[in-house]
Amino acid sequence: MTPTVEFKGISKRFGDVQALEDVAMSVHQGEIHAVLGENGAGKTTLMRILYGAIRPDAGQVLLDGQPRAFRNSAEAILAGVGMVSQHYSIIPEITCLENLMLGAEPGFVVSPKLATERAETIAQRMGFQFDWKARADTLSPGGAQKLEILKLLWRRSRILVLDEPTAMLSPDDADALYASLRQLAQDGATVLVVTHRTREVVAHCDRATVLRGGRLVTSLDVKDADASSLAQFIIGHPLAELEPRPVSHPSGPGMVLKDVWVKGDRGDDAVRGVSLRLEPGEVVGLAGVDGSGQRELFQALVGVRKIERGDVNVGERPLAQTPSARRLEAGIRLIPEDRHLEGVIERWSLEANAMLGLQRRAEMRSGPWVATGARRALAEEVVARFDTRFGKLSDPIASLSGGNQQRLVAARALARDAQVILAFQPARGLDLDSTQRVYKAIREACDAGACALVVSFDLDELLEYCDRVTAIFSGVLRSPEQGSERDRYAIGRLMVGADA
Amino acid sequence: MIDFVRIFLPTAVSLAAPLMLAAMGGYLSERSGVINIALEGKMLMAACAAALAAASSGNAAIGLLVGIAAALVMSLAHWLFTQTYKLDHIVSGMALNLVAVGGSNFLNKRFTDLSATGQIPQLPLPVYYVLAFGLPVILLVYTTRTRPGLRMLAVGSDPGKSRQMGVDPLRVRMLGLIGTGVFTGLAGVLIVSNAGRFTDGMTGGKGYIALAALILGRWRPVPAAAAALLFGMFEALQIQFQGTPLLGARLPSEFWLCIPYVVTIVAMAGLLGQSRAPAGLGKP
Repeated sequence: MTPTVEFKGISKRFGDVQALEDVAMSVHQGEIHAVLGENGAGKTTLMRILYGAIRPDAGQVLLDGQPRAFRNSAEAILAGVGMVSQHYSIIPEITCLENLMLGAEPGFVVSPKLATERAETIAQRMGFQFDWKARADTLSPGGAQKLEILKLLWRRSRILVLDEPTAMLSPDDADALYASLRQLAQDGATVLVVTHRTREVVAHCDRATVLRGGRLVTSLDVKDADASSLAQFIIGHPLAELEPRPVSHPSGPGMVLKDVWVKGDRGDDAVRGVSLRLEPGEVVGLAGVDGSGQRELFQALVGVRKIERGDVNVGERPLAQTPSARRLEAGIRLIPEDRHLEGVIERWSLEANAMLGLQRRAEMRSGPWVATGARRALAEEVVARFDTRFGKLSDPIASLSGGNQQRLVAARALARDAQVILAFQPARGLDLDSTQRVYKAIREACDAGACALVVSFDLDELLEYCDRVTAIFSGVLRSPEQGSERDRYAIGRLMVGADA
Repeated sequence: MIDFVRIFLPTAVSLAAPLMLAAMGGYLSERSGVINIALEGKMLMAACAAALAAASSGNAAIGLLVGIAAALVMSLAHWLFTQTYKLDHIVSGMALNLVAVGGSNFLNKRFTDLSATGQIPQLPLPVYYVLAFGLPVILLVYTTRTRPGLRMLAVGSDPGKSRQMGVDPLRVRMLGLIGTGVFTGLAGVLIVSNAGRFTDGMTGGKGYIALAALILGRWRPVPAAAAALLFGMFEALQIQFQGTPLLGARLPSEFWLCIPYVVTIVAMAGLLGQSRAPAGLGKP
């Protein structure tokens, strides 16, 4: 049988980076095919080549045995290829119906009535319901993902590519998504799912292709594999289990939040009455869908956003209305969400960046001057911690890859007298090995008396590495009930407010 | 009352119509994501070119076409600078405004026939008025009921995502800026037709007031046109009240002239409800 999609000898280079090298893979009609790999393995690049967004340096893409070379996405769409990218392509300012049609409008003049009728037909086929006249920013993450799938159907796509489709979904919504995909596959669609979540692949996919460092590792039937063998293919060696944490009660200040309220950018209450106690030694995960108030809470805790009311205490020190310098002094450290914007100054050297936030400490000063020796020592300590790969300490930090910058930023936060570690997606852009090392380092800091609050949009990551997980939904903390503290479905429902 | 109908209303309409046309031109540009502070320059250039062409050819229609063409060229230059060469939208707009001031001054000095007397040939003004009042509704239908209208909204909100959906932001924006050129051209021709002859700097900041009306109308065609009409009325009031004391105080005429700007600042500060600019404004 001719495969519906076939890649032959695909290579692509971006500057110095060989993103793909001689990759071959074939996908048959009616199957759900997982494309697995770590960040930077080349899976998204391969899919974007199929979608016509990138042109390969070498190699061929064949659809139903015919070689195709798409010059742009519009041509790929015409050939029946549809792609849902990780960050969705839904435009919040226009309506659901307008989003559905965009790029594939029925004619020059658009009749909302006729378009709604067709939209309804497609939605009913999938069992979805939409308020078509509502603006798309009213959609939940699950709703947005459903709309993305309907967009593909509206375009009559028969080859569906989904890039990390469950990244923003609760476990319930993720299961529902795969059920929809299964239905489409049974109706004759071909589905490619880019993911790094082996659990989903085992549960829902037929075949899997694994990429590592831009090269093909293997293609296999999922029924011959399990989550740990897939993980081994992905990282190239077995992943060491992180030992279970011994219960430790070190002495340290800990942090207590009492009824904290913070306003968002639009003047709305983004954080509403959050109370939380972080005991010394504790790593607490904050699970939630992006935009639930995590960002505002973190900004408020480090002092770059005003706390409207409520108390924040580290040990005995009330910090709610103090400048950031006081908070740094008290040991609050941040691993920020966006390292480019909040974590580093790109044109400064590694050495200078390694000191950011710690420059007020006594050992970094020498009279009115910077103690250059101490600064160098600190920088060396910071880059050594997670094996940051770099040229010279005097190089601008912009010369580092994203993952290496993240290593430096994480190491800096843990470097000196950290008492409260606030980590916003600390594993963003890191491979599994580095992710483990970062979490291990956070745990070690906590074993020495610090406490940590970790935000991630990946619930499984939090369940794996944190001592306890609490959920945040539209600015309100929601702790799982007794007995379901490690139940991913129960916490998932708290994350999307489905229990209320 | 008779005075109101006979004098005030016609004055208000003739002053508001160019603002409304220019605001609609700005709408097509800004809604597709191109910041356009060069409405003023386009109007000025159109006014100058129209006056020269109409006077030398003796044909009002030729004047109109040349005027529109001048604004169109300016508008396409704005597209080229901001979209192809990725120049900052404000900088490009500033440059075009300066070119218009200098260029129209030069053309006027160089080519105006000083021996000519009387008015330049012109089309009947009500033609422009009908257009000015009809256009907002047409644009509303265009935006909500047609493919290019929908694509304009999408590109203005998020060019990157629009591109993913197979929509080419550059083409959408070019179409938008062609519309901007045509409508600001019409506005410029109307201004020079109203006055009867070209004088340097005769648009007198109307392009900025049109932009203010667009902002006050929150980048929606009908409210923006209503705001432009309101500003036109203020200008008519200023003419009406010039020199006459109001509530015992003799207000300088500048008081009335500054009202549109004050209202716009108040609007921008969010005091008249939240002002929502297209999210993709100025994004590549």
